[in-house]
Amino acid sequence: MSLTEQRPSAVSAALAKDRLGIPSVVFFVISAAAPLMVVAGSVPTAYAVTSVIGVPFAFLLLGAIFALFAVGYVTMARHVVNAGAFYAYAAQGLGRTQGVATAWVAVLAYNALQLGLYGIIGSAVEPLLADWFGVSPAWWVIALVAWAVVGVLGLLRVDINSRILSVLLVSEIAVVLLFDIGDLFHAAPGGISFEGFTPGSLFVPGVGAALATVVAGFAGFESSVVFAEESKDRNRTVPIATYLGITIIAVLYAISAWAQTVPTGPGGIVKAATEQGPVLIFNQASANLGSTFSTIGSVLFVTSSIACMIAFHNTTARYIFALGRENVLPSVFGRTSARTAAPIAGSVLQTVLGLIVIVIYAISGADPVTKLFFTFGGFGGLGLLILLTVTSIAVIVFFTRNPSGETAWRTRIAPALSIVALCVIIALTLLNFDTVLGVAPDAAIRWILPSIFIVAIVFGVVWARVLKSIKPEVYANIGLGAQAVSGGAK
Amino acid sequence: MAEADLSSPSLADDLFFVMHDSVTGRARVHPRLASLGLAGAVLGELMLADRVTIDLDSGQDRTYATVHDATGDPLTQSVLDHVIAEPQHPVITWLLFFARTIYADITARMIAANLLNPPVRHLLKQQPAVPVDPNTAAWPLARLNLAVQRRQPPALRDCVLYGLFAATRGAQRALWEHDHAFVAATIAMLPPPLQRLIVQTEVAVGEAVISRR
Repeated sequence: MSLTEQRPSAVSAALAKDRLGIPSVVFFVISAAAPLMVVAGSVPTAYAVTSVIGVPFAFLLLGAIFALFAVGYVTMARHVVNAGAFYAYAAQGLGRTQGVATAWVAVLAYNALQLGLYGIIGSAVEPLLADWFGVSPAWWVIALVAWAVVGVLGLLRVDINSRILSVLLVSEIAVVLLFDIGDLFHAAPGGISFEGFTPGSLFVPGVGAALATVVAGFAGFESSVVFAEESKDRNRTVPIATYLGITIIAVLYAISAWAQTVPTGPGGIVKAATEQGPVLIFNQASANLGSTFSTIGSVLFVTSSIACMIAFHNTTARYIFALGRENVLPSVFGRTSARTAAPIAGSVLQTVLGLIVIVIYAISGADPVTKLFFTFGGFGGLGLLILLTVTSIAVIVFFTRNPSGETAWRTRIAPALSIVALCVIIALTLLNFDTVLGVAPDAAIRWILPSIFIVAIVFGVVWARVLKSIKPEVYANIGLGAQAVSGGAK
Repeated sequence: MAEADLSSPSLADDLFFVMHDSVTGRARVHPRLASLGLAGAVLGELMLADRVTIDLDSGQDRTYATVHDATGDPLTQSVLDHVIAEPQHPVITWLLFFARTIYADITARMIAANLLNPPVRHLLKQQPAVPVDPNTAAWPLARLNLAVQRRQPPALRDCVLYGLFAATRGAQRALWEHDHAFVAATIAMLPPPLQRLIVQTEVAVGEAVISRR
């Protein structure tokens, strides 16, 4: 330790050295969105399940809507710092009860997104095992291995080292771009068509299902504000990282989704995606660039999926911990392991849920990619849309009550526009939820699943009311984040 | 506040002992959380010795030095000098700042005071520093265990020790029994500045759990 008389704030300077800059936050954001997993897994599945050609346009459209949403969101982040962003914003904007209800929706949505990933890992690993060792275990065997790895790493609180993460991420993006270029040089006989970028190709029956998948592909972008407290300059780092993250995700995914249609032509992509599923882009790469690149891509697909699982597992476990600590969830979820500093209860909860889901799908024999990965992704995507809408409303209300010198565009106009856009997308998703689930349009399940969110809201409201009457001092601190244990800001 | 000396083993030494196995020296608490606890303990030592206090009226938990007398110990003196040099920071900033280096500093101080043996390298693995005398090392934990068993709050300094140990989440693991209500009651007996120190240590530990790094 050195004495500090010579510099006015050596302490702040020393602490700032450990803080996150824009590139680190962008890396965290994009790695949660797992580029190769979305491009190889989600996009072909979206083509196959929904038969919508306009997936590339959907990425651009949602990117624009999320950027609009982010205007109010990052403005709010300057005024409210809390690791459980959505619920804290709802609590401070709309009221504590609404905050608790939002928290329960968030827990449900994040868990669904995490659990859905167990459906894709099998199809990522299986072709490699078949290729290298000539064995092809059932998808659930691979899923259980991944489940065990994620569960143990979660308890040991192993985060993928940010340097490894950035190497993986950069190689993933490079491979995706290389595959795209390969596709462009091997266009279908009809020539290169830009049909995927036309709005007309998106707004066809099934649009809502395609949108829900695309939303799931963006999942993770909202985590940028969680780093507000750890960032170098919270007024600059977080907004720039958020917009940059959304732009990179939207453009990269849109181009890649479109590139997949180039070798087959827009007319052939649905058939190709249905037949080949997640190996589609690797087959294309193998034909265009040779098998070496295809194998590199397949390996990165596996690492991408596992990194994404670990990231989502840890994010969700921490989210549950943050809520448990404030008693928004039962306080048992606020438990941590002293030895590993892991949020143990949240981690165990997710591991148990993961096992239940894998076992149910293994026994029922349902297709893991379309019925687990896609359905859970769509369900989680719907939850995310609800959260974003509630958050936008909270932003408007918060700044109406606490005028803070921010512009009307940031506090009113942009959030209002994003509410309208998000509500339209939610309506479209609900209209096509039968396609998300792959059931008949009159099946009851298409209404039962979305209504689980309503059940979560009801439970949240009831829990908040119980807290208010039994533990008013706990209720009073809801939405204050870390400071809740300290009795709040005085 | 009661006058207390800065003699050895100090509050930070005691916290180090309860956070580690008395025979093998193995850590019971993750180093990141342990460091935050030890930072709290060193500030606690200075607060018990009436050198430093927390400004409760500001609502920011600002920490400042009340007496500039020498502490007679290089580590606490260095911490005190930092606080004197920059009196504007809240206690949580100090916890994060001192946590960066305090683990190594305390270990070195305890080795110098002949409380710990210098750590040895076995093949590739760095072994933990082993206590010189297991009885000395086990004594603080035994005091806390007795206090909890009898439901009798211990002496002032041990109340701080107990509060900090619970704040690092180690008490739940290491004590024979863990009683939330008794922890709360024990902390409530402390002077308000020490209560704020423990609460802010708990906040910092919670943040460390959530942080992605």
